Amino acid sequence: MLELKDLHVEVEGEGIEILKGVNLKVNKGEIHAIMGPNGSGKSTLSKIVAGHPEYEVTSGDILYEGESILELDPDERAHKGIFLAFQYPVEVPGVTNTTLLRESYNTIAASRGREELDPLEFDDYIKDKLELVEMNRDFLERSVNAGFSGGEKKRNEIFQMAVLEPKLSLLDETDSGLDIDALKVVSKGINSLHGEDDAVVLITHYQRLLNYIEPDFVHVMIGGRIVKSGDKSLALKLEDQGYDWLETHANVNGEA
Amino acid sequence: MSKPTQVEPSFLHKLAKHSPKEGKWSSIRESSLKDLNASPFPHSKIEEWRFTDLKPFRKMDFVPMSEASLLPATDIEQYFIPESDRSRLVFINGKFEEKYSSIGGLGKGVTFGNLPDYENHSAVEEYLNKLVDYDKDVFVPYNGLMFEDGAFIHLEKGAKAEAPIQVLNLYTDSKQAYIATPRMLVVSEEESDVTIIEDHIGLTDNEYMTIPVCEVKAKQKAHIHHVRIQRDSINALHVSRPIAYVEKNSEYHSYTINLGAKLARNEPKVIQEDEEVDFTLDGLVLIDGEQIADTHSTMDHRFSHAESHQLHKVVVNGKAHSIFNGKIFVRRDAQKIDSFQENRNLLLSLDGKVNTKPQLEIFADDVLCSHGATIGQLDPEEVFYLQSRGMTEQKAKEVLTYAFALETIENMKVESVHKLLIDEVYRYTKANNVTKVTA
Repeated sequence: MLELKDLHVEVEGEGIEILKGVNLKVNKGEIHAIMGPNGSGKSTLSKIVAGHPEYEVTSGDILYEGESILELDPDERAHKGIFLAFQYPVEVPGVTNTTLLRESYNTIAASRGREELDPLEFDDYIKDKLELVEMNRDFLERSVNAGFSGGEKKRNEIFQMAVLEPKLSLLDETDSGLDIDALKVVSKGINSLHGEDDAVVLITHYQRLLNYIEPDFVHVMIGGRIVKSGDKSLALKLEDQGYDWLETHANVNGEA
Repeated sequence: MSKPTQVEPSFLHKLAKHSPKEGKWSSIRESSLKDLNASPFPHSKIEEWRFTDLKPFRKMDFVPMSEASLLPATDIEQYFIPESDRSRLVFINGKFEEKYSSIGGLGKGVTFGNLPDYENHSAVEEYLNKLVDYDKDVFVPYNGLMFEDGAFIHLEKGAKAEAPIQVLNLYTDSKQAYIATPRMLVVSEEESDVTIIEDHIGLTDNEYMTIPVCEVKAKQKAHIHHVRIQRDSINALHVSRPIAYVEKNSEYHSYTINLGAKLARNEPKVIQEDEEVDFTLDGLVLIDGEQIADTHSTMDHRFSHAESHQLHKVVVNGKAHSIFNGKIFVRRDAQKIDSFQENRNLLLSLDGKVNTKPQLEIFADDVLCSHGATIGQLDPEEVFYLQSRGMTEQKAKEVLTYAFALETIENMKVESVHKLLIDEVYRYTKANNVTKVTA
């Protein structure tokens, strides 16, 4: 579904290389977790796949369903089924959740060959989705993220994911800033949304999220590269030993 | 003219001889002529006009209203707000139009109509042309010389207007550029309450100038909600002088929405006359193309215990230019003042220009005055967020511009006005899309 090929990425116009040759393959039905210390390029990885204009791909490629998406705008990528849950969701006062979501749903539906929904149909459609993230109906009429607590913002991201039904979900530190109850709600939401036909990439600092969402693969990013990949036991080892033992490894790799 | 001109005569000075000779307001005309002849037309060496391009004033060849061949106004019902179906005053090019107006009444003690019909009303005798106070100004005296009709709104003690009063100023097409002089006097006696929707609309895109002068008096415990919408022709000049005096325990909340005109100069003033008052002087400016919108406001705190609020939001696109000068005076004995001023500017284009100058002059020592001015662009992170949810870049920008402007609109108490302004904001952002696509 997603394939990163020797991906090199810089901050647009600044010449600072953040990703230094990332290779990653994500198949349908899989959950991948990407872990790593601060500044290792994890968030950049998720943003560049979603098409953030601040970053520039200097070499390598991003293939999605077998085709390069480098030339596509963020909205075009969204139309193809790519979804990014933001680490810091943006507040949009004056635009209600329903308005944003129906607008999003219908533009994405149109390009994916689904039927567009009128306000009443849409109302029915999102009822179950609300229950999934345990949110009240009045939540729909509130302005997008305006005045939301950190936890509410993160739940709203998962709610949006539930409504838009993406094929590829990139979740950028969706677990950070959540208390344990909210973490359970969010994890439950992600688990029930995930199936055979879609893929999830989790960006996280903490192993605790992986107690609730079981990844098929765990990757460790350090210094703009994936230095180690493994199964979920790798996450436990990181929890136990930190990143030091891998940083040496990274240097060795770098010289090689 | 009885007195020789003491200043370099401008087109306004030259047109003064066309002042109506008959009819009412002769003493106002007399004093206005003196004031006009003692005041120079603005030029860029005057600090207050330093940033304002005055060329648009010189480029037009104005004729007196009496010599303009005006085309009739058509299809004006679309501008009537439903809430004011019993309380609407319509002026076309400054002239009162009874057949379009509706003076059905708004309950006991609420009087509104055309000023000359209330010439002998005590409030008119006491306040008309007596509240207005702009130093060395040519525009107010020009209005004083020329106006015949005008809106008069009076609330007796304890009277509550049951519905908003709409004062609709329409400007029609004409072969020559004319100067309209709309006039308004609002006197709200003790404990009265009124909402006023003042609207200026250019019916086509012709050249004209309008110089509205508005005097407001809020007596003790009176509440006034005053919305001013400026939708003049894109080739028009608009110079407005709204001034309000607020007495003890009164509230005056004013919201100015600046959408039209080639050049608009708005100088709202609020003057505190006693303790315990609450006033607002908010503004929203949406400009594009070569438009200039200039707001010079004054909030004059003269007594203790006042709360004042000014949020002035501006969106600039194209080569448009916004100027903001917000004066806040706190006099020596005016303690316990809580004053808030914020000017936020959103620049959508490279060629747009913004000048902003908060000007606080505080002579008291126990006051809380906060002020801020920002000039910025749309946050790319916000645009990206909406794009990642499937919106095109243009749509995302449209939504975010709307969200930026919304804060000043959401205080609108009148539902249809609230809706109208939301539509105007969307129209503004959509129009921008078109320019960008064709550019």
